[in-house]
Amino acid sequence: MRNTLALAKAEVVRLSRNKRYFLFTLAVPVMLYLLFGKQKATAEGVDFKVFYMLSMATMGAFSGALSGNAQRISQEKKEGWIRQLRLTPLPANAYVTSKILVSMATTVPSVLIVLILGRFYGGVHLPAWQWPVLAVTIWFGSTIFAALAIAIGYRYAPDQVQAVSMFLYFGFSVLGGLWYPFSGFLGKIGEGLPTYQVTKICADVVEGVSVPMGLVAGLVIWMFIFIGLATAAVRSTAENL
Amino acid sequence: MTADVVNGYGAATHYGAATGAPIVSFDNVSKRYGRLKAVDGLNLDLRPGQTVALLGPNGAGKSTSLDMLLALRKPTGGRITLFGGDPYRAVKEGRVGAMLQSGGLMPEVTVKELVTLVTGFHPNPEPVELTMHRAGVKDFANQRVDKLSGGQTQRVRFALAICGKSELIVLDEPTVAMDVETRRMFWDSMKEEVAQGRTLLFATHYLEEADQAADRILVINKGRLLADGTPAEIKARAGAKRVSFRLDHVDERFLLGLPGLVNLEVRGNLAQLQSDDSDATLYAVLNAGYRPREIEISSMSLEEAFIAITEEDDRNA
Repeated sequence: MRNTLALAKAEVVRLSRNKRYFLFTLAVPVMLYLLFGKQKATAEGVDFKVFYMLSMATMGAFSGALSGNAQRISQEKKEGWIRQLRLTPLPANAYVTSKILVSMATTVPSVLIVLILGRFYGGVHLPAWQWPVLAVTIWFGSTIFAALAIAIGYRYAPDQVQAVSMFLYFGFSVLGGLWYPFSGFLGKIGEGLPTYQVTKICADVVEGVSVPMGLVAGLVIWMFIFIGLATAAVRSTAENL
Repeated sequence: MTADVVNGYGAATHYGAATGAPIVSFDNVSKRYGRLKAVDGLNLDLRPGQTVALLGPNGAGKSTSLDMLLALRKPTGGRITLFGGDPYRAVKEGRVGAMLQSGGLMPEVTVKELVTLVTGFHPNPEPVELTMHRAGVKDFANQRVDKLSGGQTQRVRFALAICGKSELIVLDEPTVAMDVETRRMFWDSMKEEVAQGRTLLFATHYLEEADQAADRILVINKGRLLADGTPAEIKARAGAKRVSFRLDHVDERFLLGLPGLVNLEVRGNLAQLQSDDSDATLYAVLNAGYRPREIEISSMSLEEAFIAITEEDDRNA
């Protein structure tokens, strides 16, 4: 475990030097929030500025866990870094474990920065207890995408990953209603997605209504689906690193 | 023909430093990819202290064999032991340092950060400074790994292979991206590693390197071991020596009848022969009353021997 943490620490050092990472996980959601966050309307039964804060926080966090990770994992697999690590005393699962740990850690700032902006720039006022509940919900719902990123990174070559993760990013964010809430047929489909479930749980918390257990169960099911996909991808490529 | 040279188990007796139980052992190991047999019933033993070259043409099964030895791939048949046990365990105990062609480096960190990181994974490592000195990476220790030249990258990989002070070092085509100067430096530091009692197994297709650095050569082709011996033995294995001389008024019919003759080429007054009994061939020329000039008898180079051995195998297939 000590070695796995050392690897995770090195990963954090790398991320801190990576401009792309900052652009996509921090700068983009912040910019979008600054541009659109102050519109007056309601969505999902809550004030639009609250809704927009929640969805921008979710979008930044989940896209960071998904796109950034998938691209890097695929690249590192192609270049043989994963192979090289397997030749060291580091346990075989250390690479994946450290990626997950780092994702869990790096998702935190992209959630917090939008929530803080919402409070101090967007003028979102909520009871104190709600803020940590929102932060943890968004964090959990986004960080599970790190497992999906592992599945994609192990399965696809770097040039394919770009397309696959873009497709998934738009699918999950648009259909999940992060850009704008959907109604009708597309809305029905979107309700099954974890991105929708996260913002819906948050909206219910803000509104003060009880959160349906189905939403929470949905997120947990997605977590297991993503972990299952990741495990299958890692196993099936074990000899082709 | 191959049986008299492939003597895997008896081989240890005539390699000076090599004593004790084998640290690497392949017992009838095979690896199939679908219908393709990459490795086909490979048997071999490595003893501590040896420097062993694995020679073979592209696609001979060298890389697959090394991958299996390092627990990156599983054999489909047979058994590999490393330090008497499971290869995976030996690797995780840090007893093997490896440098593979396909092994990549972590980008966005400096050389020193990377060497420090990997050194930290090992239970009983070399000091980082010493590793960097030996691998010749000190001059660019603070440069980012993704900004290095091919030769520099190769040295960093080498640093990662030796940083754990491992008992066995496995290198797959180690000098492939190196210039001549770097290559010499590399082998010098490799000799230091061996002098400290390490065992070295390397795959190469630079036959010169195998000839100079190895005290034992394994020739493999199509996943099978064709020859196993010292460089001198491998050269002798190919049989023939070269005999050449100048002789005015050469009688080709007479030359073709010489004992031991394998091949003959005549250009003007220069006769070039290959013979598996060069003494008898030459005596027969002299006994017939000829007095040739500029007589030269030479062994085949390792490269020629290697080509002869693998071509013979291809013909027999």
